[in-house]
Amino acid sequence: MAEQQPAITLERVCKSFGNNRVLHEVSLVLPAGKILVMLGPSGTGKSVLLRCLVGLMKPDSGRIFVEGQDITALDERRSAGREQMFALRRKFGMLFQDGALFDDMCVGDNVAFPLRQHAKMSERQIAERVAEDLERVGLKNVQRKMPAELSGGMRKRVAFARAIALRPRIVLCDEPSSGLDPVMSATLDELILDLHRSLNMTFVVISHDTAEARTIADYIGLLYKGELQEFGPKEQVLRSSRLAINQFFDRSTDGPIQVL
Amino acid sequence: MEFLHFVRRALVAQFSGPPPRDEFVRHALDAGVGSLPLLTLLTIFAGMNLSVQAYGTFVRFGGQDLLGLFCGVGGIRELYPVMAAVICGARIGATLAASLANMQISEQVEALEVMAVDPMRLLVAPRLWAVTLMLPLLCGYADVVGLAASYWAATEQMGVNGGTFMEQVRDIVHLSDLAAGVFKGVVFGWLVAIVSCYHGYRALKRDGAEGVGVATNRAIVHSAVLCIVLNMFLSALLYVR
Ligand SMILES: Nc1ncnc2c1ncn2[C@@H]1O[C@H](COP(=O)(O)OP(=O)(O)O)[C@@H](O)[C@H]1O
Ligand SMILES: [Mg+2]
Repeated sequence: MAEQQPAITLERVCKSFGNNRVLHEVSLVLPAGKILVMLGPSGTGKSVLLRCLVGLMKPDSGRIFVEGQDITALDERRSAGREQMFALRRKFGMLFQDGALFDDMCVGDNVAFPLRQHAKMSERQIAERVAEDLERVGLKNVQRKMPAELSGGMRKRVAFARAIALRPRIVLCDEPSSGLDPVMSATLDELILDLHRSLNMTFVVISHDTAEARTIADYIGLLYKGELQEFGPKEQVLRSSRLAINQFFDRSTDGPIQVL
Repeated sequence: MEFLHFVRRALVAQFSGPPPRDEFVRHALDAGVGSLPLLTLLTIFAGMNLSVQAYGTFVRFGGQDLLGLFCGVGGIRELYPVMAAVICGARIGATLAASLANMQISEQVEALEVMAVDPMRLLVAPRLWAVTLMLPLLCGYADVVGLAASYWAATEQMGVNGGTFMEQVRDIVHLSDLAAGVFKGVVFGWLVAIVSCYHGYRALKRDGAEGVGVATNRAIVHSAVLCIVLNMFLSALLYVR
């Protein structure tokens, strides 16, 4: 039964900061085991959307279901609600836009952190898993380095390794490809596809990169001015005649998406 | 209001099981051992200063033998605990606030939340324990160093009889005074830690590096002011009967 539950369901989610209306009635259903690439110009609320998904922010109205469970109904001020929220978050791995590595820990400890917190693994198993995952993201023998010694792209890859260390069911990636060179970003795309195939993970990937959307997406969404302009299976979205999505894919300045 | 809410969450985190060991040890070492050089230097001068001041005042009516009394009461009951709290508090508070604020603006605190780890348990609780336990030790240490400095200045520089000095100290300073100093240390330590953690924790991502500066600044100022004000009330409570 649980397999049929959509991974993520949004029902008319709204979020404003003061007068700044960031998300307006965003609704979508993402089936389990699919890759959603969410496109959109910067500042349209893509990161805010991810934060709402993991309960870091609470929508002003609307509901969010993760594998059928309503996370907007949890009251984090109560300890029971907080525990449920924590239980729910263990389904997620999240790659933050700037990595959010713990800068007082070395790379190895960063990737091992979620394992030490939640997995019943011996230190040896953890070390093996850390090495394996770092290798997956194209990094070798960096365990003892501190995050400050790495380039931005390397930090992001370490953060990705940390996000998938516990083999979560849903992985949220906030602009994994920005700041990476094209080869590395293609490698990361392959990695996402590989994890998706072998472990059946669901991915929500935020990106500006339409090539990335073409390569990895099962579903594509376009967020603009807080509204979900377009959402659906890739083939359907790519055939769409809607102006905004075409403008994004054509890299044109001419269309409904305005720079100002 | 927000502060009280933070205090409530912090207390819950602090008393729900032992704090994470590594974090606790790291902050205890930094707060305790890290404060020693500065505290030693300043209490030596403060202790000598007490002797100088007392001698200058008392010698006029031939009361230089009362030096031990003055240095004992003034130093151990009042000066050293407050000095330890304000000096070490500034040092420790700045470190705590800056580290937490930096974690906030770089989303590390949110990363913990997403990894289903309670930042209050992992970050705030060990800092509270570390400083609450270390500050009383620092107070005790400051008592010893300060008194030794007073003694040295009084006997070597002003020719006061060493035996008389110590007799007076023993006369006026009781074990309960030392205990009161340690008690003050516990209170000041917790206060410095909670105020500093609060300001650090409150930093927002959009404030960036400036937010770290603001948090650090507030942590230092607020904990120093609170310690000095509270010291008066604690003294009234402990010594006036
Ligand atoms: N914590 C916050 N407080 C106030 N405004 C915020 C906050 N987080 C984001 N915003 C605003 O929400 C809008 C969308 O931000 P964001 O989701 O980060 O955009 P992006 O699509 O580039 O990821 C921006 O206008 C930003 O100023
Ligand atoms: Mg963003």
